[in-house]
Parts: sequence; structure tokens; C-alpha cells
Amino acid sequence: MLLLDYQNVLIESLLKERFAGGPPVSIDQVVSDFDGVIFHISTPESKSKILVSISIKCFPELVQYGAQAVMEREYGPYIVAPESGYDFSVQVDLDSLPEDQESKDDLVRRVSLLKRNIMAAPFEQAFDEYHHLAEEASKYTSESAPQGVQEGGETRSIHYREEEAIYVKASHDRVTVIFSTVFREETDRIFGKVFLQEFVDARRRAIQNAPQVLFQNQPPLELEKVPGVNRSGSNDIGYITFVLFPRHLTAQRRAEVISHIQTFRDYFHYHIKASKAFIHSRMRKRTADFLQVLRRARPEAEEKERKTASGRTFRVQS
Amino acid sequence: MSQSLRPYLQCVRSSLTAALSLSNFASQASERHNVPEIEAQSCPEVLLNPLTISRNENEKVFIEPSINSVRISIKIKQADEIENILVHKFTRFLNQRAEAFFILRRKAVKGYDISFLITNFHTEEMLKHKLVDFIIQFMEEVDKEISEMKLFLNARARFVAESFLTPFD
Repeated sequence: MLLLDYQNVLIESLLKERFAGGPPVSIDQVVSDFDGVIFHISTPESKSKILVSISIKCFPELVQYGAQAVMEREYGPYIVAPESGYDFSVQVDLDSLPEDQESKDDLVRRVSLLKRNIMAAPFEQAFDEYHHLAEEASKYTSESAPQGVQEGGETRSIHYREEEAIYVKASHDRVTVIFSTVFREETDRIFGKVFLQEFVDARRRAIQNAPQVLFQNQPPLELEKVPGVNRSGSNDIGYITFVLFPRHLTAQRRAEVISHIQTFRDYFHYHIKASKAFIHSRMRKRTADFLQVLRRARPEAEEKERKTASGRTFRVQS
Repeated sequence: MSQSLRPYLQCVRSSLTAALSLSNFASQASERHNVPEIEAQSCPEVLLNPLTISRNENEKVFIEPSINSVRISIKIKQADEIENILVHKFTRFLNQRAEAFFILRRKAVKGYDISFLITNFHTEEMLKHKLVDFIIQFMEEVDKEISEMKLFLNARARFVAESFLTPFD
């Protein structure tokens, strides 16, 4: 429960249930996900054709970074024209499902990863660019490399939330992923700082092969030429830089790394909120303890034996 | 308990016990009123000398006695901004429940984190030494609570960071 799932659990369970057989029913559900993503699952034409649409804030940017190609690769024949009000749609026909269970599960998995796959496009592009640049750079020694190779490619910005963005930049020996994040209140900011400090230190202490993590309030130098970056350096905005080294960028690991790094922002804020909730319940308990102590200060009303005039006593009936 | 905490708490305990000799005293300014004189501050002759007991510059207790009420303000140790926010959250949490605490003042005196107001009516219906015990225990536990919360936060942060970064390994 500590790490967040990559797929949308609701879509997954819904499709699994449908694929398992049983009489077709009509579905019309709106499902929301992290980062203001909205899914719409419906059966507009017939009960056997399930249409899954996604609306994502930064879709035009993602298309620019090659989302279309990624989606073609992942969903190929299932892609249909996007439903109105949504950015992208896939349709699955229950009557023409793949035969074996394994490919069924694979299809469920792929559809439930819709958000992850769309968001993956700029990362994939940057990873490819890295491989290309690394190849280029290997032709030169470090001194003689021409400008373009040394500096690396353009910075891809994905404005996936109102005020927050991810920036991805490839260069010949690494890929840099920068998250900008906004802290709504003072407590979040301080808790966030504690958490980020541990992210920065974790590499030094325990996990040597983890990507390098940096944290600052000023935008890092990689974002110097990027338009629309808040440069006020205010404490409410943080920039978290992940430096992915070649070992993270190999072909067999890249899918996992892309999925995982996407969840960073939600994971991070989720744990800030969770800590706040825990501290709140702790304070509640402690307050109850204090009340208990204070209550001891009140002298107990002594239970005197009450007697009637004739000398008879009252007894509580048990 | 650390070396300097014991005499500090002992000193607060005896000063508080001495200050808590309260008697019923009706307002001299308006008829049929009976207000805590330390809050009203209307006549100087019923106010006694206020007293500060400090362990260091970050931890001190301010006792303001008067004829029918005592105001005790506590400044809780805050070493860094995490403790600062935790103390702020905790005291606010308590202040919102002031009603249940009888002797808790809704708002802390300026420069302190939390204040108590004990009047003669409180000492009449509650045991005086138990009230002192409460204040002392509060001071002990609040420090413990704050540092425990801070430790918890750090431990959680470490755990969370490590589990996020492990899949990259």
C-alpha cells in the first residue's frame, strides 16, 4: 500500500469483470484519476462495445512529444475517433476478444494503463534522444564534442496540472526529470522539506544506484530558457530534480522506470497528507489523555449512605 | 528526565502552588460582577508581581498572580521549523477544545504558546495540588509529544523515500 499503482484500478476491475463473460450490460461511468485526469467508460452503440475515453490536461503537449505514435503502438486496432469532450478513446469489442486468457489480461492491463501510456510519450522520446546523443558523444572526446552534443536536447515540458509541470531533458550521459510542485500551506511545505531531504539523502545512505535527487526552490539551470517557469524563488514552489543515469535507461528497465517516476508527485503529496492525518489523530489521543489528568483534579463526590428517617437504607438493585 | 529539567519543573511547581492561594473577590469597578482580576486589570492593588521562570530562552513559564485568578503561560521548546509547526498545530488543537479543559485560556498570551487561567472558582471545585500536577504533567508531556511526532515524521520520510527509490536500484 506504500507505493501507488500505475494502472487505474477501477477500469481494471470493470474490464476484468466484463471480459470474464456473463451477460453484457450497459456501462456509463466517469472515473477520475490523479492529476485531474478523467476517464469515461461507456457502451454507446451496443452493450458489447466498451468505449474508454480519457481527458488529460496536457494532451496537445503530449501529442507534440509523440503521444500519437506511442498510442498507435500500444492500442493499434482499438483506437477510435475521440469522444467529444475527451482527448483520446479506445474501444474494445467483447465479441471479438482474443481467445486465450493471457492476451485478455494483457489487454485489460494495457487499457487500465491508458494514463500512464499517454504520459509516457515525452519520457520515451527523451530516452531515445539520450541513446542517440550517447552514440554521437562516443565519437568525440569530452573536450572536442560539438555544442549540441554536450548540452543535450531540448527541454520537454508537460504542464500536467494547473500550476505544476514535469520537465524532461536528455543529454548524452543522463536524462533529467524535473518536477515543479506547489505547497498549498505552510505545514505542507515543511513536511515536504523533511520528506525531500530524505529523498536526497537516501542515495547516500542506502540505495547507491538510485537516481540522484536534488531539491531547490529556485528553478534549476536546466530550465533557464524554458518559458512559463515561475522564477520568483518563493518557498511555496519546489523543484525536484531526478537525474536518471544510463543504468536506468536500458531497454529492459525503461518501461518500469517511466511508470514509476510518473507516480512521484502523487506519491509524495499523498504521504504528506497521510502524515498530517496521523499527527492529527495522535494529537486527538494525547488531548484525551490530558483531559483524563485534569479530570483527576475534580474531587469525587463521596458516596454517603443515605438513610430514611426510620433508619432504612437505599440499595441499588443489581 | 534531564538534569536541568527537574529543578525547572520543581521551581514551577512551588511557584505555582504559592500563587494559587486565591480568594473570592468581587469586582470593585462594577456592582455584582466577579471577574478574574488578572484579565480585567482594572485596579492595580489586587494584582501581584508577575514572575518568569525560564529554563533557557526558548522554554519559559510566565505566572501572573492576582487576588482571585492566576494566569500561567508556557513557551514550549521549538528548536527548528518542524517543531515550530508541530507546536503551533498542537496548541491550536488544544485551544479549540478549551471548553473541555476548564482552565485553558482560549488564546495564548503574546510571546507564549499556550496559557491557562485558573480562578478561585476552579480552585474551589477542584483539588489545588492536582491542578498543579496537571500543569507540570502537561509541560513534561508536551515536550515528549512534540519530539516524538518529529521523530515519527523523520522516520516516515526516510521509509517513504527509500521505498520510492528502491525500484530504481
